[in-house]
Amino acid sequence: MRNIVRNRQHHVLLGAMVAVLLTTFWGVGAQQDPAPAGRAGAPGARGASGPPEPTPRMADGTPNLGRAPGEKGVWSVPYITNMGERIIEPDGTTAVERRTAQGGGRGFGRGEGRPLGGGEGTAGGARGGSKSEPQVPFQPWAAAIYDYNSRNQSKYDPEGYCLPPGGPRLMATPYPMEIVQLPEQKRILMIFEGATHIWREIYMDGRPHPDGDALNPTYLGHSVGRWEGETLVVDVVGFNEQTWIDYFGHPHTDMLHVVEKYSRPNKNQLRYEATFDDPGAYTKPFTVRWTIPWSPRGELTEYICQENNKYLQSLTDDFGQPVFKKQ
Amino acid sequence: MRMKFAALAIVTGLLLGTASAIAHHSFAAEFDASQAINLTGTVTKIEWMNPHTYFYLDVKETSGQVVNWGLEMGSPNGLMRAGWTRNTLKVGDVVTVEGSRAKDKAYIGNARVVVLAATGKRLFAASSQADTPQR
Repeated sequence: MRNIVRNRQHHVLLGAMVAVLLTTFWGVGAQQDPAPAGRAGAPGARGASGPPEPTPRMADGTPNLGRAPGEKGVWSVPYITNMGERIIEPDGTTAVERRTAQGGGRGFGRGEGRPLGGGEGTAGGARGGSKSEPQVPFQPWAAAIYDYNSRNQSKYDPEGYCLPPGGPRLMATPYPMEIVQLPEQKRILMIFEGATHIWREIYMDGRPHPDGDALNPTYLGHSVGRWEGETLVVDVVGFNEQTWIDYFGHPHTDMLHVVEKYSRPNKNQLRYEATFDDPGAYTKPFTVRWTIPWSPRGELTEYICQENNKYLQSLTDDFGQPVFKKQ
Repeated sequence: MRMKFAALAIVTGLLLGTASAIAHHSFAAEFDASQAINLTGTVTKIEWMNPHTYFYLDVKETSGQVVNWGLEMGSPNGLMRAGWTRNTLKVGDVVTVEGSRAKDKAYIGNARVVVLAATGKRLFAASSQADTPQR
C-alpha cells in the first residue's frame, strides 16, 4: 500500500509538472454536445403514478431519509462525473438544469445527460478543461491539475484504483446507498454499495469536530449533523488529499470544508446540496446540487472493487511505464 | 459511424434500460469509443468478478487465424440488475459482442451488448461506457 501511495504521489507531482506545460499550449474551448442524451423515467419515479407519496417520517416527526418500516428501497445514486456542471450559478441554476430546461431531456437520474466539454459519461471526447468552466473558482494550480486530468481523460482517477470517493462524490458514484437514522443512538449511518462498499457515520450528538492533530485526515472526513427543520445539515472536515472531487478530476486539499444538506420533499426524491469551501484550491466557496431518486424495490448487494482490478495491471504512466510494479 | 453508434445505443437503452451503466475506471483512458467492434465467437473463459466481469472469446479472423479476445463488462451486481446471472454466459456459448476496442491492446475490448447466438437474446453488458442512454 505504501508503494501505491508513493506511486500516486509521484504521479500527482508528475502530473502537476506536465499540466503546467500543457496548459501553456492548450486552448481548447468547451465543446457542447448538440444532442444531449435524453433520459426519462428515473428509477425512483418509474412506476409511480398520481401525486408523489408524502415524505416518510420517524416516530418523532423527523423526516425519514430511509425506508419506511416493512418496506424495501434504496437511493439510486446517479453517476455524476463533473460537479462543475452542478454548481449553482448566480442566476440560481446549474448547467445541467439549464440544459434540461432547454429540452435536453430529464436532468436527473442515473447516468444523466451529456455534458459540456465532452460528456458526463466516461466515454471520452474532448474536454474543455478549466477554461470551459468559468463558474469554478479555480486557483491557478488547481486549474492546471484539472486541465491535466481532463487532458488524460481521468486516467489516474483514484476510484479507478478502487480507492473511496471523498465527500460529496459519495453521492455521485454508483451504486445505490441507504441512509439509516438511529435517533436513540444520536447518529446516522450511510451505507454505500458502490464507492468501494463503504459506510459513513454522522454524529448527531452535538459534538464538535476534533481539534488539531486529533482530527486525523481521512477519505470521508469527520461528519457532524443536525436537523434544521426538514433539512439534515452535515458539516464535514478532516479530509485527506487522496481523492478527487469528481470523476472529471477537480482537485481539493486537506483544507476542504463541506456542508451538505439533505432533504426529502416527497418519498421519491432526495434533494442533495453541498458547499465546498477549500481555500487551498479555490478562491471562493461553491455549492453543487442534484436530486437522487428512490428505488422502492431496491436492496443493496455486494460490490468489492478490489477483487480483480485489471485496470491497474495495465495502467501505465505518462512515460509508458507500469504504474504498479509486480512485487 | 457516429449516427450508427447513437442509434445502436438508443435501441440498447430502450431494450434493456433498467441497468445502470457504470464506470469503475476511466472508459476513455482504456478504450476508444470510435473503434467499434462487432465480434462473433465462442466463449472460452468467464471471470465473474469485481469491479468488471471479463469473458474471453475465440474469434476466427478473415485470415482463418483464431484470436482470443478479452472483453470487459460491468460488475456482477450491475449485471444482475440487468438480468444476468453467473450462468447466463457459459464456456462454449457462441455470442456476438458489440462494443469498443482498447486503445493500446490488440485483442481487448469493452462489451456494450452481448447477443446469445442460440436464442438471439440481447443482453446489456452494464458497460463502463456510460454514454449509453438509459430509459
